[in-house]
Amino acid sequence: MKTIAIKVTINKKQQQLVIKPNLTLLDLLREELGLTGTKCGCEIGECGACTVLLNGQAVNSCLVLAPQVDGQEIVTVEGLAVGNLLTPLQDSFLDHDAVHCGFCTPGMLMSAQGLLDHSLDPTESDVRTAISGNLCRCSGYQQIVDAIKDTKVSVNDTNKARIHTEKRT
Amino acid sequence: MKPFDYFSPKTLNEACSLLRNSGEGARILAGGTDVLVELRKPSAHLPKSIIDISRIAALKGITESGDSIIIGALTTHDEVHRSELIAKYAPLLRSAVSMIGSPQIRNRGTIGGNIMNAAACADTVPPLMTLNARLKLNSSLGEREIALTDFFVKPYVTIAHPDEILSEIHFHKLSLALRSSFVKLGRRNALSIARLSVAVVLKVGGKGIIEEARIVPGAAFPIWQRVREAEVVLVGQKLSRDIFVEAGKKVSEIMISYTGRRWSTEYKEPVIAVLVRRALEQCIDKEKKA
Repeated sequence: MKTIAIKVTINKKQQQLVIKPNLTLLDLLREELGLTGTKCGCEIGECGACTVLLNGQAVNSCLVLAPQVDGQEIVTVEGLAVGNLLTPLQDSFLDHDAVHCGFCTPGMLMSAQGLLDHSLDPTESDVRTAISGNLCRCSGYQQIVDAIKDTKVSVNDTNKARIHTEKRT
Repeated sequence: MKPFDYFSPKTLNEACSLLRNSGEGARILAGGTDVLVELRKPSAHLPKSIIDISRIAALKGITESGDSIIIGALTTHDEVHRSELIAKYAPLLRSAVSMIGSPQIRNRGTIGGNIMNAAACADTVPPLMTLNARLKLNSSLGEREIALTDFFVKPYVTIAHPDEILSEIHFHKLSLALRSSFVKLGRRNALSIARLSVAVVLKVGGKGIIEEARIVPGAAFPIWQRVREAEVVLVGQKLSRDIFVEAGKKVSEIMISYTGRRWSTEYKEPVIAVLVRRALEQCIDKEKKA
């Protein structure tokens, strides 16, 4: 088995990597790059815990073969906040207590971010569809849906985001 | 995951020669939503090499050519769903892809993969079959075309040779005079495997007389087929709930004549009849609105 050289942009940073081809994108992120924010759940594309954005679209990183991301752009949950400044979506999750055990949260955030990047004013139905590939075993869906819906209000409200960030720091 | 050699051809020709040279130990990788799951299973038949065709730009996208719609095999379910051409000329295919898996699966999974994997629950096949779709297969020896109705042997088995790659799917635009619908029943909404589904195309004349009917159930027969016995129940009749119920019962009866009675029949027998009726009613509801 030959190794493969790939160039990939992860959280805005371009990286050149030499990898074994029999890795999933999930393995690459967690095991090779230490980006353990992306969670490993079912590994068959059912639970959504491993969701990342690939060229702006939510995908199950467990179903992408690592060499397939050569030349592509990936955003993981680590790529959302800038330093201590959380994104409006992350703030909204905190405001709504949308994090229970937390295992599904990175995947939920990435699916929701994928939605918000394409539509600023999603309906509740859009939100529920966007996270329909993400399971929350604490069954905290209502808070998650509310958090995503309310994010649209705060997208331009940077003050709110800043105040919340300051409260925590 | 067991080790394998990985190739990422940039052209169809390159992919065909790689596939021919790799023999039966090779597996084509497109969107990966089925292949990646297989690669993790403990199995004696794991591929020795993976030929990743996902970079072949020529196999992507949806185009129209005269009276035909051509879908590149690598077009994702999400792309099919967002296509204006599909919304206009094959609305039932649009409904079908909108119900596949989850957003994450629809962003990766391809229409070609759905067909080539040939699972009995493949959601794109019943609509494509009612559209009389044809497939183009390529190999290093050339290309051939085949009707979708002649393509499947049994679940997970097609007549494609091991050295052939599905390059495109094409069909005639559904005339705007034709009504169509797709209904699917799963155990839940998202990420559900179709327990049963039905694709229907209906042409209704001026006086409410059904002039043409095409019915293809999914996950009901050993392989997909038009249920002509039920179609003839409809043709020449005036639209009515009774005739839809009768067509549904006929589909159910024909299904059992193929599958025999087994553990799931008690459930599938009444349910397929209702789904057929609902699919037919949906065609008409759309007509009323139009």
